[in-house]
Amino acid sequence: MRTLFKYSSLWWLLTVNSFQIVLTSRTSATLFVIAKLLRFVFFAVFLFALFAGTQVIANYSLLQAVIFYLTFNLIDTATQLFFREVYRFRQQVVSGDFDLVLVKPSSPLFRALAGGADPLDLIMLIPYVSSLVYAVSRLGSLHITTVGLYILLLMNGFFIATGFHILVLALAVATTEIDHAIMIYRDITSMARLPVDIYREPLRSFITFVVPVGVMMTFPAKALFGLLTPTAVIVSFLIGIAFLLVSVRVWGASLTRYASASS
Amino acid sequence: MKTYFQIIKNTWAEMMMYRLNFVLWRVRWVVQRLVVYFLWWAIFANRQEIFGYSQSMILTYVLLGSIVGTFVLGTTTMDIGGVINQGNLSNFLIRPVDFFRYYLARDIGDKLLNVVFAVVEIAILVLLLRPPVFVESNIWYILLSVVAVGIGALLYFFFSLLLGFFGFWSSDVWSPRFLSMVIMEFFAGGLFPLDILPKPLFAFARSLPFFYFIYFPIKVYLGQLSVISVVQGLATGLVWVGGLWYIAVLVWKKGLRVYTAEGK
Repeated sequence: MRTLFKYSSLWWLLTVNSFQIVLTSRTSATLFVIAKLLRFVFFAVFLFALFAGTQVIANYSLLQAVIFYLTFNLIDTATQLFFREVYRFRQQVVSGDFDLVLVKPSSPLFRALAGGADPLDLIMLIPYVSSLVYAVSRLGSLHITTVGLYILLLMNGFFIATGFHILVLALAVATTEIDHAIMIYRDITSMARLPVDIYREPLRSFITFVVPVGVMMTFPAKALFGLLTPTAVIVSFLIGIAFLLVSVRVWGASLTRYASASS
Repeated sequence: MKTYFQIIKNTWAEMMMYRLNFVLWRVRWVVQRLVVYFLWWAIFANRQEIFGYSQSMILTYVLLGSIVGTFVLGTTTMDIGGVINQGNLSNFLIRPVDFFRYYLARDIGDKLLNVVFAVVEIAILVLLLRPPVFVESNIWYILLSVVAVGIGALLYFFFSLLLGFFGFWSSDVWSPRFLSMVIMEFFAGGLFPLDILPKPLFAFARSLPFFYFIYFPIKVYLGQLSVISVVQGLATGLVWVGGLWYIAVLVWKKGLRVYTAEGK
């Protein structure tokens, strides 16, 4: 309990600092928010244009596709909100400043992962969540179980995303490469802006189970529509837990290779 | 001329310095292509035609768009804002090289290297995935599309230079570039052919310079434009190049007046 309190206080302190830094330049922050909003709107325009020509894709209606897209945005943005520090981690390793993190009486993984939350992504969550609530309300009658499962699978998706970010950090410690690795992760996850069911085999299985983007972003919405089998739900949670545990192990192994070369 | 060849060679050496970085950049490029390719492949699962495009037309659009995008949008001018902000511009001002030509030479080096890799990677993907690809048989359309790519590359060069010149007046050069990239990526037509958009939005896209980056050259290659439309498009692209060039020179001169070599 004390550990939890300690890390909560630390996270709050780091987050307040991070927010202050980002909001120092209001113009820059505004431009970033506008850009993020436009990116969101542009893909939505493409989605609507696509459905205007096709009506359904892989048996999914436009409303369902919109919910998949919003679910993707929700997980993607929440991940960036909490783990923005990952994007700045390379500099710490290259400059040797990571030594200063290692000597502190707190988890270096916590600092590298969650040490700089992004307020702009917090702002972006407002349109995403409100659009999602509106879209889900248009679905008609919903069962409490499917909504509950949706929320649990969202959390599971967030754990898998956490695992991916930890793996990227581990790669950065071992090789100092991070910029492209994190963007490759984002490119692959962008496939889940539409349900992964639309892709053909073997790609579909690959991005569902090997690189569990499907479990992360498509499965929650499928559960909401009542299209996920109980076995698939159990497998999803097992994948989520296993992925997170393996990534923490890999991080531990990578730390043993940290040479502090630039200090 | 020899100087600028040397700059091209230096750019290659610079890019090859961080090999893992370069390899991952290429991996990322291939992943991005695959994402778009598989998206369209999936959309055509049970269809022969959509928005007037056959599967082979759209997959050719996507694959060729990758190579065109690499050539047109490959640039080293991204760092100009930083160069100005950190005062490193002073190093250029005392050298006997023209700033514009220096960056044009660097861009040529960057584009050539990326295109060589992109062609090889796309060839491998075509061999592995065996997509139905449309091969243009009319040599004129091929030649005109090459000209259109050249115009697009010049347009983007001046556009990106202008974004870099923000550095003369602001230390915040990344956010306007990010915003412009988001708008450009959509209206350049890298993800989809712009003519699938609703008519008013397509008309708006046509009025932007981004229209000539990817969409226009590929439409020329696919032979989907009339001769008059092609000539009009090339002429409009050239007018844009001239306009942006003029503005870039003007902004550069104004910028130099306020440049204080701050940071050095």
